[in-house]
Amino acid sequence: MSRPSKLTIYAFAYLGFLYLPVLFLPLFSFNSGTIVAFPIKGWTLDWYRKLGEQDALIQALWNSLTVGLIAAVLATSLGLFAARAFVRYRFRGQRASEGLVMLPLVIPGIIVASSMLVLFLFIGLKPSLTSVILGHTFLALPFAVSILKSAFDDFDASLEEASYDLGVGVFETFYRVTLPVVAPGIIASILVTFTVSFDEFVLAFFLSGNQPTLPVYIWGQIRFPAKLPNVLALGSILLLMSVLLLLLAEYFRRRSSSSK
Amino acid sequence: MTETNIIKLRGVEKRYGSFTAATGINLELKEGEFFSLLGPSGCGKTTVLRMIAGFQEPSEGHIEIDGVSMDGVPANKRPTNMVFQSYAIFPHLNVGDNVAYGLRGRVAKPEIEERVAEALEMVELGGLQKRGATELSGGQRQRVALARALIMRPKVLLLDEPLSALDKKLREQMQFEMRNLQQSLGITFVMVTHDQYEAMTMSDRIGVMFQGRLMQVDTPTMLYARPCNREIASFIGEMNILPAAVQNEQAETSMTVDMAAFGKIEIEKNPNVTNRAKNIIVGIRPEQLEISPDKPADYPATLQGTVSNVAFYGENVHYHVKTETFEKPISVSVPNYFHTVDFQRDDKVWLGVQGASVIDLGQDKQ
Amino acid sequence: MSAPATLYVGFLVAAPLAILIAYSFWTQTYVTLDKTLTLQNYRDALADPLVRHLLLRSIMIAGAVTAVTVATAYPIAYFIAMKANKKTIWLLLITIPFWSSYLLRVFAWKLILGFNGVMNSALLWMGLIDEPLTFLLYNEFAVVLTLAHAWAPFAILPIYVSLQKIDPSLLEAATDLGNSKFQAFRRVTLPLTIPGIIAACLIIFIPTVGDYVTPSLVGGSDGKMIANLIQVQFGAANNWPLGATLSLMAMLSVGFVAIVLVITGTALGKRIR
Repeated sequence: MSRPSKLTIYAFAYLGFLYLPVLFLPLFSFNSGTIVAFPIKGWTLDWYRKLGEQDALIQALWNSLTVGLIAAVLATSLGLFAARAFVRYRFRGQRASEGLVMLPLVIPGIIVASSMLVLFLFIGLKPSLTSVILGHTFLALPFAVSILKSAFDDFDASLEEASYDLGVGVFETFYRVTLPVVAPGIIASILVTFTVSFDEFVLAFFLSGNQPTLPVYIWGQIRFPAKLPNVLALGSILLLMSVLLLLLAEYFRRRSSSSK
Repeated sequence: MTETNIIKLRGVEKRYGSFTAATGINLELKEGEFFSLLGPSGCGKTTVLRMIAGFQEPSEGHIEIDGVSMDGVPANKRPTNMVFQSYAIFPHLNVGDNVAYGLRGRVAKPEIEERVAEALEMVELGGLQKRGATELSGGQRQRVALARALIMRPKVLLLDEPLSALDKKLREQMQFEMRNLQQSLGITFVMVTHDQYEAMTMSDRIGVMFQGRLMQVDTPTMLYARPCNREIASFIGEMNILPAAVQNEQAETSMTVDMAAFGKIEIEKNPNVTNRAKNIIVGIRPEQLEISPDKPADYPATLQGTVSNVAFYGENVHYHVKTETFEKPISVSVPNYFHTVDFQRDDKVWLGVQGASVIDLGQDKQ
Repeated sequence: MSAPATLYVGFLVAAPLAILIAYSFWTQTYVTLDKTLTLQNYRDALADPLVRHLLLRSIMIAGAVTAVTVATAYPIAYFIAMKANKKTIWLLLITIPFWSSYLLRVFAWKLILGFNGVMNSALLWMGLIDEPLTFLLYNEFAVVLTLAHAWAPFAILPIYVSLQKIDPSLLEAATDLGNSKFQAFRRVTLPLTIPGIIAACLIIFIPTVGDYVTPSLVGGSDGKMIANLIQVQFGAANNWPLGATLSLMAMLSVGFVAIVLVITGTALGKRIR
């Protein structure tokens, strides 16, 4: 075996840096001591057991799931039409429109959050899960559009034409050709946008009022050292969930682009 | 055999905003013929094909298929089927389901299976029903696309550059196969291509398009022998184009022209030429010129020049001959009968041409 | 068909902005909102040394984060694009940590860097230090480190894409014309990846200026940024007009710096021959 190059060594070191914090959370969630420090006192599953007993946490989880699911479906539906139009048609103002849809990616979170808070109150919408859903749909849209755009990129326009040519009408073609070919992209988009919403904090912090989502709930717990092990356990579960969802999304995204 | 027109295009035009993709298209296609639309890319040939298929509506004019007006008839209601340039094989369906696609829900299941098997047999893919769409080679995709269109029993099969995605050997093989298929089925094929050899080897008739206009519709032989203007003359095969002055035009079918240093010669009037004038251009194919070290006897028009370039092609040898009179060197092609190259660069040679080899191209537009 | 999405985003960008602008010209005392137009908020904000200080520090920190992230990420992007055998696996490995909650990742850094945290306790335990290191947490260093970690994939991906687009025969041509590997990199690869680098810089710089979570958790008093002040105006201080003014000022400064970044970046790229 040849000696790895400096660049390869650097790459692996960088990978270590990326995973370091992510791996410490689960590690210390099994620590029986309440202080997050070495050496580890002993191993326990207590912190995980205690999670189920906390009603506020369950309620926050429920809020997060509701918000995530609705925002994912909304962002994906809006993204579906936008992505199809961007890939399939050339129209006036297309570049501007594409740029605008990607804008939420680069506006500082605090500004999105504060300005939405002001807007929603202005139109009489009190901070609630509804306002969080509207905000998360906004934040998730660029992710939905870019995933679905690549799904449509790989989708040869002549497939639909071939279907019309073979005597099949518009709706049947959508159902028999468009949907099956783009389906993996749609699933990937829903999974990714759900994860975006599920992990989002700043916007929810401003907009959720007295209905905290899970990250907002965690934020409230972080300040109390006694609650720390609980937060670690909860955080580890969330990490695992996010990674699983992403891997699933990646699987579907691959399927959507390998089926050319 | 009664010749009926299966497709009629009358005054068809297609505009996109201020851009005119095709204009003044009048065309009648006979039942059972193999027709090609030939032209450089962007000439509007694909637009014409897509208007016949129903993917685009003409901005002006009308299209009739089998005596029925196609005005407002969508693609899925037309008696035409298409082989797409990309083949458009549905990636989520296997070969059998791809071929059966248009029949599903319209024909009973046992009949579908029977017709799919038959169609696959016809394109020599018998038994491959279960093969996945992504596991096909380029040639197989092309055959599936053909089978999927032919199973619909179309009155007209439309082919958009059907061979352009294949490599050279396979392309030549498919040219013969498709021609045979068309003749045994007796269906009208309309093919779009930018490849003149493909068009010439496969078609009964060819329509040549330039800049949105259909310039000439003719058999391959006539297109080669009697092109109607400079553009077609130089697009199909190679052509030496020379200026000439008409001396007398009284005769019905022939005239005498003065080809500068070549001298005077009697040539046939080209029936395809519409714009006659005193100063015209004429064309001579490289293989119709005689080249020899001495002044050739029995040739009414001769000219001396110097060889400026020699290119050996295997089956023939090309010479470029520089003359004092003409700006461009004259291109001459000689069959390689004896495995020799007779002339070298800077050799002095004589060129000779017969009247029957000089093609009247009418007044030059340029 | 893109209209619904564009309108949705357009509405949620334009409408809050309009109201934000309106608010910034209003004033508020306790709970009563005074809708007479005035420049008072801007005057107050500009006169307040804290605002200037935080705004400047936010931009400096965001600049440092951008520089550090892009500089450390470029070799990784280069490695994946040019050297790695399993590109997709590497890309996946790079993006996985990013999909965990941002809040949790920042929180994890707080635990690692803290006085009694993972790093110090590990070093003490191993006997490498005698007393905990104090420079780790609650300062700019912690903020830059944490954010460089958080933004890694955002720097790697655009640079990777621009590296991926480079036709290998261009580098062969450069070598053929007498360039060493390093010269070919500097004269061909680097200029061709300038668009990727600029994209990475913008994608990192802009949101970082307005970051709230990281300075709150690991910044301490030395690491506070403008977002913390904005949050206070919308929260505890309950002075929305001032909060709106600060948001707009932050946005304008970010926009200005971003434009300067794009122009100088492009110009620098063009000077490499």
